[in-house]
Amino acid sequence: MREMPTVPGMVARDDPVAPLWRGTVALRVVTFLFAAVNVTIHSDEYLRPWLGWTVLGVMGLWSAFTVRSYSAERGRNWWVVGSDLAVACGLMSLSPFILTDEQYLRLVPLVTTIWACEPAVAVGALGGQVAGALAGGVLGLSTYLNRGEMTVDVVRDVVLLVGAGFVVGMASTTARRTAVRLARALRTEAATAERERLARSIHDGVLQVLARVRKRGLELGGEAAELAELAGEQEVALRSLVAAAPEESTVDGEADLRPALQLLATRRFEVSTPATRVLLPAAAVAELASLVREALSNVDEHAGEDARAWVLLEDLGDEVVLSVRDDGPGIPEGRIEDAAAEGRMGIAKSIRGRVAALGGALELQTGPGEGTEWEVRVFRAGDGGAG
Amino acid sequence: MDEQKTISVMVVDDHPLWRDGVARDLAERGFRVVATAPDAPAAVRIARAVRPDVVLMDLNLGELSGVDATAMITGELPETRVLVLSASGEHSDVLEAVKAGASGYLVKSASAEELVDAVNRTAAGDAVFTAGLAGLVLGEYRRMAATPDEAVDKPQLTDRETEVLRLVAKGLTARQIANRLVISHRTVENHVQSTLRKLQLHNRVELARYAIEHGLDAEPEV
Repeated sequence: MREMPTVPGMVARDDPVAPLWRGTVALRVVTFLFAAVNVTIHSDEYLRPWLGWTVLGVMGLWSAFTVRSYSAERGRNWWVVGSDLAVACGLMSLSPFILTDEQYLRLVPLVTTIWACEPAVAVGALGGQVAGALAGGVLGLSTYLNRGEMTVDVVRDVVLLVGAGFVVGMASTTARRTAVRLARALRTEAATAERERLARSIHDGVLQVLARVRKRGLELGGEAAELAELAGEQEVALRSLVAAAPEESTVDGEADLRPALQLLATRRFEVSTPATRVLLPAAAVAELASLVREALSNVDEHAGEDARAWVLLEDLGDEVVLSVRDDGPGIPEGRIEDAAAEGRMGIAKSIRGRVAALGGALELQTGPGEGTEWEVRVFRAGDGGAG
Repeated sequence: MDEQKTISVMVVDDHPLWRDGVARDLAERGFRVVATAPDAPAAVRIARAVRPDVVLMDLNLGELSGVDATAMITGELPETRVLVLSASGEHSDVLEAVKAGASGYLVKSASAEELVDAVNRTAAGDAVFTAGLAGLVLGEYRRMAATPDEAVDKPQLTDRETEVLRLVAKGLTARQIANRLVISHRTVENHVQSTLRKLQLHNRVELARYAIEHGLDAEPEV
């Protein structure tokens, strides 16, 4: 992760399985206390009480060692975990020298009792579900050998040991995989951000040159002016692309209306928006963008090739106002109504229909020589009553 | 032309092609190009020395941006006005530059005539708006109004100012706006200017408040 300073290092550096190890440590401490109580209760009747206490002492020392080892990432390795399993089986195998036959019949716990289950969990945390289940199997086998017969209790112990190792191992594998995926996602994100930064600076350079070419070419005139026009078109196209930040929809399906509009900007069509996101349901965003596209193509058709148009997007909180104004000759009075009456699919009908479907309001201002101005108001959900 | 000759201009841009081109354009049209600078630190340093009437400021300057340079220059030199000239369109950084003290914005592909006109108006103290900038400024006032923060007096637009700004954003010229609202051309200019001034004043107050809250209010360097 050293080469990725922007990525929060924590995620990758910390052992993703650390919580499982903390659980293992807690289990070791609790089971040791249980074993201590067990030895205290039964030691009077033990065959060799001194050996019982000695085993308990070794268990204490080994517990301290493993607690220390498992608390740091360095100690969570196969050497310690393997030794842990061996020590548990070894100490368990001393039980026949400690417990009397009568205690065996009464099913008094082996001297290591549930303390011996911890290695299955540790192996699972380190090596995953298969290793965990195998370790549980080894401990179960050891229990069977030291009990000397297959009883219901022994079977239950085996199932629990194998199950515990398996489940903890599965949790550990899942945690590791998630951590790897998260690290990969963070790396991708950082790389994307860096690429965007580079793209911005390159775009800026290209824009500079295009702007200069256009300006100078127009001054020179003639063939240079034609080249200037071409450069100018590309300049606007690139500027719109740069302005339209990558679309990002929110969890609840809302999208920013700005990029969709900014992509419609050309040399003759200017688009003005706020600097902050204007969120609307994704369907409304698509509908409004195609509405503006339609209005602009109408400008192309009816207002002449030199007509300019301005798109203004305003966010008033409970409503979003979108206006499209052109400086063309305007629509003569009555023509929209005529068009509708004649049954032609006029622009007005289409735009009106779209706005009505969005539950919005439409205002049209026009007149000979005054250009045409559409103003669409869309009300935000939750304020639906207002419209 | 007499008036133009007295206007001194400094051009700040990291692209030599553009910097020299604009400087030549302006010189040809009678402006006094007193300096050029390739980056923000140089721009601030040179502006302090030559005190130009107008600084043409690119925003993409690298480490220290044109926004920072604009804030420093307009903060230190009240007589100097900054006109932002940016290639990459009306982004939020244009809004930041205007809040930091720039008197207006012009897109780089504007014609030489538009540039000359803009520099003249900037020198005269007017605000130079594009429709896009008006949209950004309108949006900024509304964003502030919608942000709950009782600690500060938030600047607000009067109804008339909102009306004027909306018409600017819809592409009307100052003269067309004057005709439509039946007010004088001068009044339109004043309204537009006032929207900027309130925003800049608020920005300065906010910065000062931030500095005091964070213990940065030591003696300012002069």
